[in-house]
Amino acid sequence: MHLDYRLNEDRETDWASVTEEDLRYRVALGNLIFRVGDKDFSATWEWIPLVDLAASFDDILRKLESGSRSETFEFTESDAWIRFEKKDGKVSVSTSYGEGVGEIPWSELAEATKSFRERLHSEIVRQHPHAAHNAAVRKLLGSAAARG
Amino acid sequence: MNLRPLTVWFVAFGLLMTGGFGMGQTAQYAQVQSSAAQVVLTRWALQHIMARHWPDSPATGAGKFQAGITEATLRDMINEAVHNGRARQNTHGRPGTIYEYDFQRQIGTTIDGGPATRLRVVVNSRNEVVTAFPF
Repeated sequence: MHLDYRLNEDRETDWASVTEEDLRYRVALGNLIFRVGDKDFSATWEWIPLVDLAASFDDILRKLESGSRSETFEFTESDAWIRFEKKDGKVSVSTSYGEGVGEIPWSELAEATKSFRERLHSEIVRQHPHAAHNAAVRKLLGSAAARG
Repeated sequence: MNLRPLTVWFVAFGLLMTGGFGMGQTAQYAQVQSSAAQVVLTRWALQHIMARHWPDSPATGAGKFQAGITEATLRDMINEAVHNGRARQNTHGRPGTIYEYDFQRQIGTTIDGGPATRLRVVVNSRNEVVTAFPF
């Protein structure tokens, strides 16, 4: 599987003062690259809030790990969705906008989601050093310990 | 000719006028009245909605309002959706509430370009509209 992103260029945001709502809806926008086997669930709409997506995927994995069998990610600006269904150590992935169902081992999805969040955090902080000290960034993209 | 910046300016100016000068903090807000709740459509939220969901928006993968939509009709539709729609908590840690309402008539187009009859409104914990779009 391949879980990645393309972050839009952003020279306007004041990263010292961005709020959680900014990160959930208005800031760090870009594309989702998401391939599971031969299924391509990428969403290249340019407006996807990537910090929100990383935090939401993290939340979805926590819920699946805690016993939930199915969790759905809803995009912020459309009714499009990505559904994750856990069964027997594997996760089936389907979307409202792509054909078919992809299947991945749980451990692979967990590792890819963690890596996605960490890479996004690193890139944002590298491009916008003030983001490192922003509480909302730490809450949504920091390590599990930092997020409490 | 790209009319969107001009449109945004006129709408923002209209919001200032309808908000009322001399009314302190309400000057930059347009309030959407509802007996179920009172939500506020800030000019920032309006610009956000226009950038992604206005009929002339180039954004892909997002529902679009029908041609002829105005700030006033948007406000009325948000009002109706919040008043009469189904409410649910926002998902996966996103703060606020989602309202969804089926107008039983076309209000725009879906991401596939088909007719959209429903409106989704996201409202934050301060009762401010975050986004709204047809689906």
